[in-house]
Amino acid sequence: MQNRILPYLLTLPSLFLAAVVIFWPVWDLIQISTHDVNRFGQLRDFNGFANYYAFLADPDFLAALWRTALWTVLVVCGALLLSVPVALILNTDFYGRGIARVIIMLPWAVSLTMTAVVWRWALNGESGMLNSALMAVGVIDQNIQWLSRAGTAFPMQVLIGILVTVPFTTTIFLGGLSSIPDDLYEAAALEGATPLQQFSEITFPLLKPFINIAIVLNTIYVFNSFPIIWVMTQGGPANSTDILVTHLYKLAFRIGKLGEASAVSLLMFAILLIFTMIYVRLAMREQRA
Amino acid sequence: MRNGKLKRSIIAWLLLAPLIVVTIFPFAVMLLTAVKPRQEVLSPTWWPSEFRWSNFADMWVATGFGQALANSLYVSGIATVGAILISVPAAYAMSRFRFAGYGTFRQFLLVSQMISPIVLVLGLFRLMAAWGLIESTTALGVIYMAFNVAFTVWMLQSYFDTIARDLEEAAWMEGAGRWQTLRKVFLPLCVPAIAVTAIFTFINAWNEFVVALTMLRSQESYTLPIQVFSLVAGRYTIEWHHVMAATLLATLPVAILFTWLQRYLVRGLALGAVK
Amino acid sequence: MKLAKWTVGLMAGMSMLALAAQANAGEVRVTVAEYSAKTGPYFNDVKKEFEAANPGITVKFEVVPWDVLLQKLTTDITAGTNADLSIIGTRWLIDFVQQDVAEPLDSYITPEFKDRFIETFLKPSIMEGKTYGLPIAASARAMYYNKELFEKAGIAKPPATWTELQEDARKIKALGSGTFGFGMQGKEIETDVYYYYAMWSYGTEILNKDGTSGLSTPGALEAAKLYKSMIDEGLTEPGVTSNNREDVQNLFKQGKIGMMITAPFLSNQIKEEAPNLKYGVAAIPAGPTGARGTYGVTDSIIMFKNSKNKDEAWKLLDFLFIKEQRAKFTQGEGFLPVNKEEAKMDYYVNNADLAAFTSLLPDARFAPVIPGWEEIAQITSDAMQKIYLGNSEPEAALKEAAEKANAVLKK
Repeated sequence: MQNRILPYLLTLPSLFLAAVVIFWPVWDLIQISTHDVNRFGQLRDFNGFANYYAFLADPDFLAALWRTALWTVLVVCGALLLSVPVALILNTDFYGRGIARVIIMLPWAVSLTMTAVVWRWALNGESGMLNSALMAVGVIDQNIQWLSRAGTAFPMQVLIGILVTVPFTTTIFLGGLSSIPDDLYEAAALEGATPLQQFSEITFPLLKPFINIAIVLNTIYVFNSFPIIWVMTQGGPANSTDILVTHLYKLAFRIGKLGEASAVSLLMFAILLIFTMIYVRLAMREQRA
Repeated sequence: MRNGKLKRSIIAWLLLAPLIVVTIFPFAVMLLTAVKPRQEVLSPTWWPSEFRWSNFADMWVATGFGQALANSLYVSGIATVGAILISVPAAYAMSRFRFAGYGTFRQFLLVSQMISPIVLVLGLFRLMAAWGLIESTTALGVIYMAFNVAFTVWMLQSYFDTIARDLEEAAWMEGAGRWQTLRKVFLPLCVPAIAVTAIFTFINAWNEFVVALTMLRSQESYTLPIQVFSLVAGRYTIEWHHVMAATLLATLPVAILFTWLQRYLVRGLALGAVK
Repeated sequence: MKLAKWTVGLMAGMSMLALAAQANAGEVRVTVAEYSAKTGPYFNDVKKEFEAANPGITVKFEVVPWDVLLQKLTTDITAGTNADLSIIGTRWLIDFVQQDVAEPLDSYITPEFKDRFIETFLKPSIMEGKTYGLPIAASARAMYYNKELFEKAGIAKPPATWTELQEDARKIKALGSGTFGFGMQGKEIETDVYYYYAMWSYGTEILNKDGTSGLSTPGALEAAKLYKSMIDEGLTEPGVTSNNREDVQNLFKQGKIGMMITAPFLSNQIKEEAPNLKYGVAAIPAGPTGARGTYGVTDSIIMFKNSKNKDEAWKLLDFLFIKEQRAKFTQGEGFLPVNKEEAKMDYYVNNADLAAFTSLLPDARFAPVIPGWEEIAQITSDAMQKIYLGNSEPEAALKEAAEKANAVLKK
């Protein structure tokens, strides 16, 4: 008897909290997106899906959609490829490991907004410290105007995106690695397994659930990530670094089209939902097999 | 043996070096800009003509740093402690019981992460306004708690799943109750996962920006990111040395927390404790 | 059981917090924009002085960073939790009026009160014959030039026309060593305005007489070509599209830029950050026909319709617009005086920098009072960035922008 109710009691508070901050705002969004709303979000007439048609016809929106995909894939994959080896190194016992861990974690300790502000400052063409550092080392002989074109600004933003995603990802992996008992490795070593075999036979399979968590959560966070691009270029010049969130922010708070902005955000929500459902299903099937 | 560790250390540091350089770069920028005299802030030279450490003290007063620091600690503290208290039972239930709605609950948690705070903020603000909770740092802490529950439950559950049940069963055999088993056997095994969870929640709450900006409206309740941001956002002139000093100082508590908690992220510690 | 109790406790806690957050009667809440580090302390002083003079009324200033002011106002109005008074960009005012959020102030305004203001600056806040806001901050734009660079390059006086400006820029560029002739802004807020300076001097207005966008006129094209040719010739700083107004001002403070167009508050900044810089302020260059234009901007303080303390709020407005208060605020922030009596003070009369600005006022254009103005500004800025980057020919970019702007105007 007790065992039947207990799990529900245990999960109830978390369910309640997550529901409150999600259901109400989403309901609000659906309302706004299907109505004619004024600049200050006061609802007027139901207008069906006019808000949805409006942005689907907008070339800037389509470009932003495509760029969002690129941004998400590059940052998530880059962070993953970097974090697995970094976590493995940080998990071995070496001198100064504590310091190394703290240093790798540092970018996480600064709010994204401020990280972006500092980078923007450092990337300034004429008085930026990156240019003067590169010049001092002799890599470049004239200032690069990093943020003036999408061609240099966007790769920089991706790199910074990766850099700030690495600490979170590495921490998850460190947590995961710490759950692998030592005796498994000892046994493997006795059987003469090479380090590579140890990785592919023990570490990787046991780390898999954590990799999956990292992929799913990072995708969600990066897809929705606002500050890096907003602070550095505001999606510019001429919308050439816009992703969906920055596009949405301009629609909502600058131009005041709250209806269209809500429709965009619901669409973003749907994209993420479909992605995660597919991913979770695939990952689970694999785990079961 | 000792030689082996030395060799390992050199290789490890060499491998990490590129990443460390890139990681430290913005911090070097912050530190060096923070200590420049005001007239030199705009010039791209790395080394200031003199180190103005007093900039930190000036900044502390000029920006009301102390109050913001206290607010941030309060909000992040509530979020961290609350998230752990709420998600440990939930994750335990998901890991140790099979119950109807398990899959739905797990997916629901994930779904709750999918909406960008920027999008949520409008609805959330209306909700908080309806309850008269605007300007309350406690309510802000609870919102952060809610934002992080999904991750903490997922992370804890994945970890709990890796802990073999036989340890608990052995304890039951010896006549310990469920609660006692939990406290004496299970929870000590979970320390690394709880550490990760705590770091995660604390940092997220510490750095959160959009929601805080919307919910808080006076200097007395501003958290650090808002306070620092207001130094750069649209002012006609920006005191960069103050901005950098504030940003740098705001990282310290997180760095300290991480230094303390990272000790628990060690392989084998969990199992070693009960062996 | 335990958990259920806990949940109940949480709810109870929330409702207790709710009670604590109720607004007090007799309290005037004001949302103010943060212009500089001096804004917060100034309003703190206002609070003290006003409350001492008006027992029973408390004032609460909520200082909000400029960049997020519109966002905050939007969320606040949406939820009905807005303050009693707020500073807004006057260019947003029409939205507030059309959505019936702003309270007309005419019933409070006496002829004496109205007479305090300089007509030019009060006018943008008047719509359909009613005064919806009072100009709390006003500024215009003029050209700053670096006297030292001018001297080195052998230029005697600041350029009067764009052609002269180009020549001077060439001379300054020839000095080499990281100096640039003309500082051009190509990013973020007022990127469009930086282009209008040239556009106005070619005789084109933002809106044609028939209410359509001026971007497709020959004058607009000439102006765009002028800027583009200056960029291509290297007369501007490199990377125009990565520099917002502050970035260009920073270059000017470092003495790297010969000329730039910006607002009067740069003088205050130079005084504090680059006291040794020798600079002058001159008129914005004229076009071939002698036409010229500067951009006039005001921010208004408005009263919300749903305010419950309108009389108290008005008392505060009255207090804010007396000469002494105005002088303290305007001088601290480096704006132009909006108050007639204030403008007669020595500080303004004997100030050569400010004189250059005020003499341009007859040529000042304010942002047109049309709904959707922010969107048109955005469209124009995007088009300019495309032209500056060379992604698009000036003709094509302007034509496209004009079509988009006209579509917005038709709504």
